[in-house]
Amino acid sequence: MLPYRSKKSVLIFLLPPLLFYGLGVLMPVIQSLFLSFFEWDGISDMQFVGLGNYAKMFAGDAVFWQAFGNSMIYMMICLVLQLGGALLVATLLMQLTRGREVIKTLYLLPAVISTVAIGFLFQRIYSMDPVGLLNRLLQVVGLGDLARPWLSDTHTVLAAVSVPEGWRFSGLYMLIIYAAFMSILAEIEEAAKLDGVNEWQLFAKIRFPYIRPVWITTVVMAVTYALRGFDIPYLLSNGRHGQLVTTYMYRTAFTNTNYGYASAMSVFIVVECLVAVGLIFGLMKRKVDE
Amino acid sequence: MRTMKTLAVSVLAAAALVLSGCGTSTSSVKPDDVNPEGEIKPHEISWLLSRPVDGGVITAMKQIAADYAKDHEGFELKFITTPDRPSYIQKLETLAAANKLPELFDIDATPFAAKLAKKGSMVDVEAMLKDMGLYDDYRTSALDYQRFDDGSLYMVPFESQVEVFFYNKALLAKAGVDIPKTLDDIPQMCAALNKAGITPITMDGQDMWPLERFMAYYPFRESGNDYIKKLKKGEAKLSDETGRKAVQWMADLGSSGCFQEGFSSTGYADAQALFTSGKAAIYNTGSWDLPTLGTEDLDASVRDQIDYFLLPVTDGGATTQNEYVAPSGIGMAVNTKGYDPLVRDFLKYALEQYPKVYGATGQVNPTTGDGTTLPSNATDLYQRVVDESDNVGDVTAMPWDTQLDSTSNTRLQQELVLLVQGDVSVDEFIDTMDGVIAENGPKAFAE
Repeated sequence: MLPYRSKKSVLIFLLPPLLFYGLGVLMPVIQSLFLSFFEWDGISDMQFVGLGNYAKMFAGDAVFWQAFGNSMIYMMICLVLQLGGALLVATLLMQLTRGREVIKTLYLLPAVISTVAIGFLFQRIYSMDPVGLLNRLLQVVGLGDLARPWLSDTHTVLAAVSVPEGWRFSGLYMLIIYAAFMSILAEIEEAAKLDGVNEWQLFAKIRFPYIRPVWITTVVMAVTYALRGFDIPYLLSNGRHGQLVTTYMYRTAFTNTNYGYASAMSVFIVVECLVAVGLIFGLMKRKVDE
Repeated sequence: MRTMKTLAVSVLAAAALVLSGCGTSTSSVKPDDVNPEGEIKPHEISWLLSRPVDGGVITAMKQIAADYAKDHEGFELKFITTPDRPSYIQKLETLAAANKLPELFDIDATPFAAKLAKKGSMVDVEAMLKDMGLYDDYRTSALDYQRFDDGSLYMVPFESQVEVFFYNKALLAKAGVDIPKTLDDIPQMCAALNKAGITPITMDGQDMWPLERFMAYYPFRESGNDYIKKLKKGEAKLSDETGRKAVQWMADLGSSGCFQEGFSSTGYADAQALFTSGKAAIYNTGSWDLPTLGTEDLDASVRDQIDYFLLPVTDGGATTQNEYVAPSGIGMAVNTKGYDPLVRDFLKYALEQYPKVYGATGQVNPTTGDGTTLPSNATDLYQRVVDESDNVGDVTAMPWDTQLDSTSNTRLQQELVLLVQGDVSVDEFIDTMDGVIAENGPKAFAE
């Protein structure tokens, strides 16, 4: 229990960040909520439409639901690449005795490259004419028939914009998971090995349950980042195909100047993130209880 | 404690003064108050524009502004350019929403611009040019391109371009085809070129508007600009005969493989390179590309093979061969907020000097009189395309991206890619777009 003076000090020190949080995060959310009840093109007078924008979003806009479906697929691909890849690499790193630092650094590198550079890089990789790296590789290995304009083909564009995002942050999550693995007491693992557990059992029964709190954090981070994913999809496809809710919202606001409807979508994204986080915590808690 | 209070009050008072100063430093005039009274006090002004940094307009205006600054100490024209058009429009619309547009800004004659004009945010350019005694110097086509549907003029043109189809004679000969006489000849020509292993038409799909130009061609040839003027308001439909013909033609272009594979993710530089490297047979672009296509800088093997043709006609169409897309580029609007004697004086000086300076950069002026000085290494093609500017007919095709409301335009650009790629059928395309335009068009153009 903190003494009274200490509590006061804590409150004083917490106040500035809370103030910044309120101004930087809560205010825009409240503003968006307010704007979502209006129709506004940015220059004419705002017109109150009540829940009209929400009604349109939920019942009258097929593009929105298509974008929502795309966002879900985008999130799944990102999660598999980011969390699956991170878990796999972190586990493999635990087996290595030499060269860990080099691999860690190389794997982390994409996370520090600028988004625009990644966008240009993958535009070149996916290019069909001039032939990009991916299509060239397919030709070299005799799979030239699979070569295609990955960013123009409506069947591949969504995966093509998801992969760079997954690739980019898998190193970061690998580092977090690897650090969690490293914090497991060596005695526990040694005792388990003496009891005769194999590598899979060691992972499934000892390591993974031990890092569960860190895992939940990374899942929450990866899910919310994926639901808010915007920059790479926007840079690579510019919303031509495979539109996500975020790119659709951006286009609705800043190209179509329909700020009210775009605000309704932004409110949807906030709620969607909160629901996703709630579900993750709920599921994880149930698993622990079981 | 008392000192702290005094300090806090002083800071607040200073802040209030600064803020109130910010709010009242720029005066505003009525759109038709084109010659505001008062002393010319030199200060910095800004131009938010969407033009290439090293292009003719910025080069010329930089020189003119520097000359003006010599006699007006303290004056400076600040250029804030975003050549990428979609990004520029987003920036412009955001600044307009925040009421933070600078003294001068680029804008097309779009419905959004019309709203700004209606709101009183733009100076009446026709009145301004007449007041400056410059109105009659401008080409009619250059001014008409900038006008709103009601004939009002709120943007100053700075260019005069013609959009033609450059083609590679050797590649067409190799495929055994002639240049198309009618629009309906193009799909057949594409099929023949594809058969010969040649990319028929190179397309900058990333910018979206080049493909949208093709959508405008058939209706323009059939009925001039009447169709798009009605379509954008929901008074005509794509399911009408003219619209359906245009959509079918676009689908035919796609099924004939007219554009390079993956065209929708090809950017401007790559699209141009396909033509200049001799891989693509046709490149539909404007005279702004002449410094690349019409000079000796281009590799001789391609340079000597380049010629051009004008937009093919349709059988029994309403427009003639010399009527096609001849834009005067994005126009410059003058903000009523900040329009003072200095801005007026500078603009008068700049617009008087501009034709001579701009013409010297090898570009065609939006005014008559001062001609174009061709670059020393210009080819014969350069001169011939420049000469086309004087032969443009009475009607010029209005690009659809400047006509439709932004929501319909965005959706059209997306759906067109799907139509040409064969991802949606003609009927699906028509159903979708008629629905989108019916929902947004009438609202955007409501009086």
